Amino acid sequence: MLLAIDVGNTHAVFGLYEGDALRHHWRLETDRGRTVDEYGVLLRNLFSGVGSPVIDGITVSSVVPPATQVIDGWCRMYLGVAPLIVGPGVRTGMPILYDDPQQVGSDRVVNAIAAYERTHDSTIVVDCGTATKLEYVTRKGEYAGGVIAPGLGIASDALFERAARLYRVELVRPKHVLGRNTVHAIQSGLVHGYASLVDGLVARMQKEIGMKARVIATGGFAALLAPESESIEEVDEFLTLDGLRLVYARNSGQ
Amino acid sequence: MIWSDGFTDMGAAVLLTIDVSNTQTVLGVYEGAVLRQHWRLQTHSGRTADEYGVLVGNLLAGAGSPAIDGIAVASSVPPMTQVIETLCRTYIGVTPMFVGPGIRTGMPILYDKPQEVSADRIVNAIAAYERTHDATIIVDCSTATIFDYVSEKGEYVGGVIAPGLGIASDALFERAAKLYRVELVKPKHVIGRNTVHAIQSGLVYGYVSLVDGLVTRIQKENQVGARVIATGGFAPLLAPESETIEEVDEFLTLDGLRLIYERNAQE
Repeated sequence: MLLAIDVGNTHAVFGLYEGDALRHHWRLETDRGRTVDEYGVLLRNLFSGVGSPVIDGITVSSVVPPATQVIDGWCRMYLGVAPLIVGPGVRTGMPILYDDPQQVGSDRVVNAIAAYERTHDSTIVVDCGTATKLEYVTRKGEYAGGVIAPGLGIASDALFERAARLYRVELVRPKHVLGRNTVHAIQSGLVHGYASLVDGLVARMQKEIGMKARVIATGGFAALLAPESESIEEVDEFLTLDGLRLVYARNSGQ
Repeated sequence: MIWSDGFTDMGAAVLLTIDVSNTQTVLGVYEGAVLRQHWRLQTHSGRTADEYGVLVGNLLAGAGSPAIDGIAVASSVPPMTQVIETLCRTYIGVTPMFVGPGIRTGMPILYDKPQEVSADRIVNAIAAYERTHDATIIVDCSTATIFDYVSEKGEYVGGVIAPGLGIASDALFERAAKLYRVELVKPKHVIGRNTVHAIQSGLVYGYVSLVDGLVTRIQKENQVGARVIATGGFAPLLAPESETIEEVDEFLTLDGLRLIYERNAQE
């Protein structure tokens, strides 16, 4: 089985693939202080819950450098497998048209690969996580750049920390756009505001490239925003894991 | 020093307006309807009335301001209220009027609990409606991005509160390990081919999209093509790219404070 690990700024997602089928997945907090042995105990427990499968290969995308070291150590010590860490030098099969290709976060390239594998067409990927990241893949399958905006979760945290009279609200879609109380006003600003941010950025990207690209969303907030968005066509919670599986296959040479 | 523009409106009442927001406090001196001077201070609720007294007293004296006849305050930061009250009484010798319950605004508030709407939002709504006398959306681009809707008849109907551009970008750099602070300017292209341009695009075009999208959604829900006036520190950055903002007025809140003061002084 292949273990795909997507280390984001807030969560690390672990997925177990049998061929191209995702069999199991888990989500852990990305805690930079967590040790190799703590990961060892946690994941041994989670794996034993699904029959302790044999892991033949591991592939990792990480945007948190300190966590990368720990995950690497855990893979070697507890699973006896050297992980393939997506980064410079790893074959992705996708030309990177960035000023400095090494500067693109591995998660962005992995998402682009997974999305293009589905569409084989010009595509915009919207990752609604800690940051809201949009990537553009050309019709020929080149990674051609993107946009990075603050994520819904961290922006709303900032609102409650920094505005004296505002308080945390449940993150749900309110009945109306216009709020007649503070809770509804904030819910509207977060849900309708962020759906507008995504739709507006997608529209501006499409205008700039002169065509209507396909739009696939992923990330923790995608399911909340997609029903309010006019541009998101499809949500795939596991797009990054799927991209990791594809990158692994391309590098194992079969 | 002389009062920088001279006393062009001799005999008009001199009004000090104070807008206390989460990040900054803006002060303006009006002679009649004319804004003569304005200053911006950090809002720091740990600072004492004596400290603010020295600051404000110096600024007024430095500009050669005539004696202050009245003071109107809108505060969205409760701990600052007492500080401002003491400052006004002790250092200026005037009892300030705080916009809040009991103050006549001349605008019906159709909110579930009218006292829940913060003073600056009502004040902005009043200043904007005074100009348009029409259905109007006010967009205040500050610590929070706040939208308020005034009906054609001049009622405050409700609003939307989203995170502000500044605090959201701070959060991005604090919470995303590999991202770093960038200069807040409009990039050449929407699609960035390096991280700096990608973030600049996300902040500028992203926030313009948030504003335009919410304005459009409010207009659609209320079936009106409401007028749109923007204010707040980020308004000048966003307005040129926005398709909905018609006008930017940096001093909308101060102007609303002046209007409310006049409406209450007539009694």
